[in-house]
Amino acid sequence: MNRYARKLAVVLSLALIVGVGCGKDNKNKSASKTNAPTKADIKVGAIFDLSGATADVGTPFSEGIRDYVEYKNSQGGVEGHKVALTFQDYGYKVPQAEQLYSQYVSQGAKVFMGWGTGDTEALRPKVNADMIPFMSASYAETLADPKVTPFNFFPGASYSQQMRIALQWISDQNKGKHIEVAVFHHDSAFGTSPLDDGKKYIADHKLNIGFKDYAMTAGATDFIAQIGQAKTQQAKYIIVQNVASPAAKLATNLASEKSTAQLMCLNWCADELFVKLAGPAAEKMIGVMPFAPPVEGTQGLDEINNFLKAKNTTAKDKGLHYVQGWYTMATMTQGIDNAIKANGDNPTGEQIKAGLEKISDFKTGVSDPISFSADYHAGLTSAPLYQVTGGAFKKISDPIKVTK
Amino acid sequence: MATATGVYHTTYGRDFALRHTRAEYARLALLGAFAVVLPFTLDKYWLSYVNLILLAAVAAVGLMILTGYTGLISLATAGFLGVGAYTTANITTRLHWPMPVGVLCGTVLAAAIGAVFGLPALRVKGLYLAISTFAAQAILNNRFRDWPWLVQGHFSIGAKTPAIGHHVMRSDFEWYWLLLVITGFVVWGGVNLFRTGFGRALIAIRDQDIAAEVIGVEVGRYKVMAFSIACGLAGFAGALQAHYRNVVTWERYDFDTSFLFVAMIIVGGLGSVSGAVYGAAFMTWVPAYITRVGQGIQQGSSGTPFIIRELPAIQLGLFGVVIVAFLLFEPRGLARLWQRAKDYFRIWPFRY
Amino acid sequence: MTRFLQLTVNGLANGAILSLAALGFVLIYKATEVINFAQGQFLVIGAFMVYNANVTWGLPWPLAVLVGIVAGILLGLAVERLILRRLVGESSLAVIMVTIGLASALFGIVLMTWGAEPKGPPKFVPSGTVRLFGDVAVAANRLWAVGVAVVVFVAVALFFQRSRHGVAMRAVADDQQAAMVQGISVNRIFAFAWALAGAAGCVGGLLLASINSNTGLELEGFAILVFPVVILGGLDSIMGTVVGGGIIGLLVEYTKSYWGINASQILPFVILVAILLVKPYGLFGQVRIERV
Repeated sequence: MNRYARKLAVVLSLALIVGVGCGKDNKNKSASKTNAPTKADIKVGAIFDLSGATADVGTPFSEGIRDYVEYKNSQGGVEGHKVALTFQDYGYKVPQAEQLYSQYVSQGAKVFMGWGTGDTEALRPKVNADMIPFMSASYAETLADPKVTPFNFFPGASYSQQMRIALQWISDQNKGKHIEVAVFHHDSAFGTSPLDDGKKYIADHKLNIGFKDYAMTAGATDFIAQIGQAKTQQAKYIIVQNVASPAAKLATNLASEKSTAQLMCLNWCADELFVKLAGPAAEKMIGVMPFAPPVEGTQGLDEINNFLKAKNTTAKDKGLHYVQGWYTMATMTQGIDNAIKANGDNPTGEQIKAGLEKISDFKTGVSDPISFSADYHAGLTSAPLYQVTGGAFKKISDPIKVTK
Repeated sequence: MATATGVYHTTYGRDFALRHTRAEYARLALLGAFAVVLPFTLDKYWLSYVNLILLAAVAAVGLMILTGYTGLISLATAGFLGVGAYTTANITTRLHWPMPVGVLCGTVLAAAIGAVFGLPALRVKGLYLAISTFAAQAILNNRFRDWPWLVQGHFSIGAKTPAIGHHVMRSDFEWYWLLLVITGFVVWGGVNLFRTGFGRALIAIRDQDIAAEVIGVEVGRYKVMAFSIACGLAGFAGALQAHYRNVVTWERYDFDTSFLFVAMIIVGGLGSVSGAVYGAAFMTWVPAYITRVGQGIQQGSSGTPFIIRELPAIQLGLFGVVIVAFLLFEPRGLARLWQRAKDYFRIWPFRY
Repeated sequence: MTRFLQLTVNGLANGAILSLAALGFVLIYKATEVINFAQGQFLVIGAFMVYNANVTWGLPWPLAVLVGIVAGILLGLAVERLILRRLVGESSLAVIMVTIGLASALFGIVLMTWGAEPKGPPKFVPSGTVRLFGDVAVAANRLWAVGVAVVVFVAVALFFQRSRHGVAMRAVADDQQAAMVQGISVNRIFAFAWALAGAAGCVGGLLLASINSNTGLELEGFAILVFPVVILGGLDSIMGTVVGGGIIGLLVEYTKSYWGINASQILPFVILVAILLVKPYGLFGQVRIERV
């Protein structure tokens, strides 16, 4: 054979060896920890965005989930069962999410930790057909309706609920005067999720609020045009449904345009990342934050801080989304716990779903107690408001609860 | 390509046949047997992969006809997959018409829109045309994303699982047979296309379009028709995929998917329909393989912390590196590699 | 009226930056007839390298920018030497695919080196607003970006007109064989073109990061708009890049404000297709005459 073919043969055989070698690793399950229980592992599949459009918040969230699993296993697991977490980055690419889902489910995952609206939506029919309880980081209200998506859950206040809270607070602050509100949102399903419910709330409760929404296009270098339109609308409040980076850009633009509107952020842009990126422009931003920022003195952080001491860091350094991930996983394991207590050692998807629905008053400390029910799969219905003062979040109101 | 010595044909029919020797027929029979046995041996996860490969192959064959045989570069395949998918989803979910009608409409609409976006082919060639298809992809993707009417204001639109009579096709096993037959027909159609005058005209356009015009080939019309065929096949694949997945979201039809299809036909080997199938299989399999390698590294806890932490970056980078390395080693693709393998065994023990 | 002026200024500023981002693209195409889909990554790497030099290594900003430019040059040279040189003579589609694969590989490297967490904007760029013509408020970093872009373009134009290497590049772009006969090393010129493109990418990325208020992975998404610019201006014309960039920048701003945000996203691409139908080689591109 000539030189070229020989080189090719070498490369191919190397590839084959690597493939076989790694395939073997897959078959032998990872060595179990020293305090190996005799009970079967509970397999959990998870997908994270560590390299895609929402990687800035997806990375700390993923660490929260993984660290919680490590912590829980070190405490003996769920009723003696270790949690075996298989996860992978999917870069916010839906086909990748689907492939990973099929793979993990075929490998025996009982529950699935999802991430964004896109993949949660795309996987919805499969999740329902396979009866796999799916906990997402997407808080779209449609996912909380068991009639539409019986196996989807999320442990936070839905975007629509956060919007209602913001609108109610605005209305209360202005004692019924007519107020214009501009809503800037991510240019996707995630962004538009709370819009219609917000408009409906205004109509149903006869709030004196003018509501106009503006899309924050992806890849835009600035939002001056939209800000100009909001100025024409004479909006006094700007509510943002987006992640931290574009929201920070918006804040910087607002500062340079010398806008006087009050900026309010829903949960995915009210975090320390926003403060860091927007710098001085972040001052006075009001956030609807169902999960409290992990500053010193917040309850519910002791467990986390004890765990992180071994890694030489604190919850504050890890950030809000880390804590969010931690408690998301904690909620799921609580549901599994309930299912095992009720149905024995090998609960099915249906039973875990019932176990999750049984959760009521699950205390996290960083949020109101989380509750699910057979009619509503969102964990929270209330959220407090915080304001950025001197670069840090200060609570400005107790948890506000609104009815639909 | 000479397949064997001593094979003489006495009729035009035999001369045009797709297979010439008994050995070739035997190989074809083996392939058929393999295809029939496959679904019984694979588990659900890998079978779903095979289904994905079959779906991708349909669109890849279309793209091969356009790019490999007619020489027109198209970066818009994903957009037309989307056209087919959204059309059939809307027709079956909103109008409640049966699935075959939805799929047919998806195909036809994709072909029509493809013809429109193929019009620049009348004026420009080569890289300029590639950029024009890039623009088509951007426009289509933007429409999928920002046109509320398409999804009735929700996040996505559903597409029903197909049913034959009362039996609903839910499992990968059943889908495999349907897709096998469909892909078989498409591949067979593609190969046959190049036994016709139309197909030969397309090849002439690729090689020397000005000379082709001189000898009487209607270059403009055939170019647009080639676009229609390729985009129609992409729409067909997209529509089938929509029913396979039961939900249509816009994220699936972005640039990365278009590039993936182009990678399929290049890695498979430009200029042969079988290359399209090889490419589809390879490019669907490589990301899965890289994922598996990544998980293998994760499970085997001996991996250094750096690798585990940077795994997503490494996987992304690896994908690009695989494509680049493949093209550097064998720019003419898998079909050429296969051809060389066949030749080696045929000529052995001689060197040439 | 004020609004119109405001939009015009913003549009021109955006256009100048777009032109700079497109410059590298055009340079490579002009010299080597290759479409470089990895140009977006050049932008990102350039911006991140300057960030690295400035923030992580703590160098003063002029030095940091120099480091970034050198990194861009090295990157371009490496790509040309290691990858493109092997593909001489292969079909243009294969080359396109390689640049796409390269973009993916570079993305992985960027992710690995700097992570997904966005860094802030370059701190040495002036912030705040400047008032022009009375009422029109322009962000200072935009003005700065336009200024830099103008300087770069003038330098590039002078380079191509006056310097030996510039003239040699134009010769190679015109007719490779004739250039070789004159004693010009075509290989060297290709390497040069890629190096220049890398450097231009770095500067473009830096400017983008400053007006984007962020140095992050999303910078490469901006590179998509480069295509309408180069098609409108002509794939092998530097003057065309400037004019095309200005026109696209202006049109996008106007559409965003007077029509709608959605329309402003599609419009550049619709223009692209329209130009291809009407005047395929763009406003200033060289019309290719093909012979059989």
